Amino acid sequence: MSAPLLSVTGAVKRFGGVQALRGVDFDLKAGEIHALLGENGAGKSTLMNLLSGVYAPDEGEIRIDGKPVTFSNPREAQAAGIATIFQELDLVPSLDVAANLFLGRELMRPGGMLDVPAMRREAKRRLEAIELAIDPARLVADLSIGQRQVVAIVKALSYASRVLIMDEPTAALTVGEVERLFDIMRKLAATGVGTVYISHRLEEVPEIADRVTVMRDGRVAGITEPHAPQAELVRLLVGRPLDELYPARARSAGKTLLSLKDASFRLARESAGWQAPSGISLEVREGEIVGLAGIMGAGRTELLSALYGTGLAGRWHGEVAVGGRPVKLESINAARKAGIAFVTDDRRGSGLMLRMAVGLNLVMSVIRRISPAGLMSPRRQAEAVKQSFGQFDIRPKNPDIAVGALSGGNQQKVVLAKEILGNPRLLLLDEPTRGVDVGAKGEIYARLRALAAQGLGILVASSEMPELIGLCDRIVVLRQGRNVAEFNGGVDEHTVLAAANGREA
Amino acid sequence: MSDQKIEGTANPAVPGPRTATATAKHRVDPLAIIVRFQSLIGLVLVAIGGVIFSPRRHGEILFLDPDNIANIVRAVSETGIIAIGMTFVIITAGIDLSVGAVLGLSAVVTATMMISGGFGLIATILAVLVMGTVFGVIQGTISTRFRLEPFIVTLAGLQAARGLALVVSGNQYINISYGDGPGLAPPVFAVLGERLFDNTVPVATIVFIIFAAIATLVLNTTRFGRYVYAVGGNERAARISGVPVSMVKISVYAITGFASALAGIVHAGQFNFGSANDGMGYELTAIAAVVIGGTSLFGGAGSMVGTVAGTIMLGALANILQLNNITPAMQLLATAAIIVLAAVLQSLVRRREGLGR
Repeated sequence: MSAPLLSVTGAVKRFGGVQALRGVDFDLKAGEIHALLGENGAGKSTLMNLLSGVYAPDEGEIRIDGKPVTFSNPREAQAAGIATIFQELDLVPSLDVAANLFLGRELMRPGGMLDVPAMRREAKRRLEAIELAIDPARLVADLSIGQRQVVAIVKALSYASRVLIMDEPTAALTVGEVERLFDIMRKLAATGVGTVYISHRLEEVPEIADRVTVMRDGRVAGITEPHAPQAELVRLLVGRPLDELYPARARSAGKTLLSLKDASFRLARESAGWQAPSGISLEVREGEIVGLAGIMGAGRTELLSALYGTGLAGRWHGEVAVGGRPVKLESINAARKAGIAFVTDDRRGSGLMLRMAVGLNLVMSVIRRISPAGLMSPRRQAEAVKQSFGQFDIRPKNPDIAVGALSGGNQQKVVLAKEILGNPRLLLLDEPTRGVDVGAKGEIYARLRALAAQGLGILVASSEMPELIGLCDRIVVLRQGRNVAEFNGGVDEHTVLAAANGREA
Repeated sequence: MSDQKIEGTANPAVPGPRTATATAKHRVDPLAIIVRFQSLIGLVLVAIGGVIFSPRRHGEILFLDPDNIANIVRAVSETGIIAIGMTFVIITAGIDLSVGAVLGLSAVVTATMMISGGFGLIATILAVLVMGTVFGVIQGTISTRFRLEPFIVTLAGLQAARGLALVVSGNQYINISYGDGPGLAPPVFAVLGERLFDNTVPVATIVFIIFAAIATLVLNTTRFGRYVYAVGGNERAARISGVPVSMVKISVYAITGFASALAGIVHAGQFNFGSANDGMGYELTAIAAVVIGGTSLFGGAGSMVGTVAGTIMLGALANILQLNNITPAMQLLATAAIIVLAAVLQSLVRRREGLGR
């Protein structure tokens, strides 16, 4: 039997007193898609960084085609054929696709001028090789996240073509984009490229992976078949059976909190790609968690941001009522006065002050309450922070460290805790568990359900169908800015998808 | 420009002080402490250097001579007042380039109102302070309303203020003579150039210190102060949390406008004239003092104490070099080196914290 394309044996990596990897074995065959799962802190990022040459292992060995290799920097790993696509795509948004593909490796004419036509031709050829029709002259800023992902893949493969390491490539993609990405990954695998696929989304594993390695606490917790039951994967991930990722549903809902009847949001200025709510009717009652499903561009995020007044400028038409009273939800102030709180899908960009302490972030939405007569009250602030730490298990339990240093799951808990401090009646959540590991997801779901049990109404948009189905009491399906179907929680995923895509189930 | 790769930091994989906090509590990065108090440490170092390198006369260290110390703190009081206002603006991730020009305009208007206008002391001071504040409000409003970079708006503000100062002064020095009657300023105004407490503490410095104390309280203990940090920390997040972002931004430019006017009044009182060229380049000295004081140009972080220490440190450094007859050219180079050093230290700490650039 020939040696695997890439193998790691006995990898150990320490950082100060912390042992990130405690003897990891891993291998990848040519043409294989190997899923690497693990919660934050399990060591998968460290392993990825060893393979891509960011760090060197303290002990252990990396082999390519059976031959030991050492990388002292990412460039050497690339030269050995290992391409890594990090979550933060290293593309320059203000340059066009071709310029990005050739960044640092520009084709030149004699005399030192850029050969733009040649680069565009070559870029087109490479994009077409994976059947992606993107005009190489388009700016990366104008591409969707999914298209950018593909451009990043093409770019990475143009200088390292044997091993592709992808760090949560689907985290920001819609269902359709994920499908397209998987198609491309399969095509690459067919040409012999070995892919290490890192993800939080267990449900994607059977669809795309040939083999699964689960990491926990710096070790390999198990290697398994992609079609292993999800419960098995979860058990490997968290080290104990997680019988209930989703809490039990509410038994009854209370009075109507939010009521939209044939409500449309007319934009002050038309904006392409912003699917304004048009003719939506839906209700959220006290104690109820209502999900918003729909394909990308169906108007989920737009509905939430229009309700909270953070979207584009415009005006609601039709009936919009909160707590039985008609309200004009056209500004953040109006929404907050009506008791609405909002958690964005972009916690780093618009949810948190990353460099500021956890405690300072937590009290951000209740500054008024903790500053009587305009003076900050350290006592009230400490009380509020204590309340949040009591409600959400934020780790580390230290309000003084910068929130940016927390894991994704803990950052998300901070964002949620911050809005909960303001005692809202209605909570709008956009992608509440994006980039959050399974353990933290379970905690967040449990907290949301507990808050709902106290009477909070929750309207949650998500592109993760299992999340909507598992968490929500009801799911409203949006298409082109209007509600087209409604299901009770626990509904079959295909039924929802069919409605979202406008097909019969 | 965004802070990248933050998600990984809580992973034990990534080295850094924050990770250390997660496992071994209360282990603090010494570099972070140095940066936190960099301007105070710098001030102490400069003072020690001052004692060592100071010329001596009859065995007495000239640098420590009470007159010399008074000179240092007097000389920095105008830029110090401006730097205090600038600290608010820079914490919101903004910048105000108009401060020096507004100082000039304020000095000219102060002199003109008292000498040619026949206005009393109180009326003049109030009018000039209101003028400076309004100037800031206009700049802040233009910047927020039309979503313009404060750099551009206040660059235009700089030109406008200098232009107005030239118009008011007719490009002449407006000399301030004291006495009773028309064309003379009330003698009490001259107190700004004097010293109190047994002729030791310059009045200009007292104004500086009082202003600094009030600003410190506002920044650290009020709701508004918290809003300032929030807007600089993440404007979008602040907006979503219900922070009145535009009001906060307009307010910080109002504060720099007020501070510049106050500095302009002090300037006129110290030098007994107003000229359209007063305060030339003060904006850069003030920005330098703020940055040396540890306030981040990216916004969201900074301290008033740091700014005060940074201001005095720059003044003390200039003073030592002057005492040793070192040329102004060398003084500029020394300032340059300190600014770069302060910025490099901050950048190192940010990287150690895993918070990107």
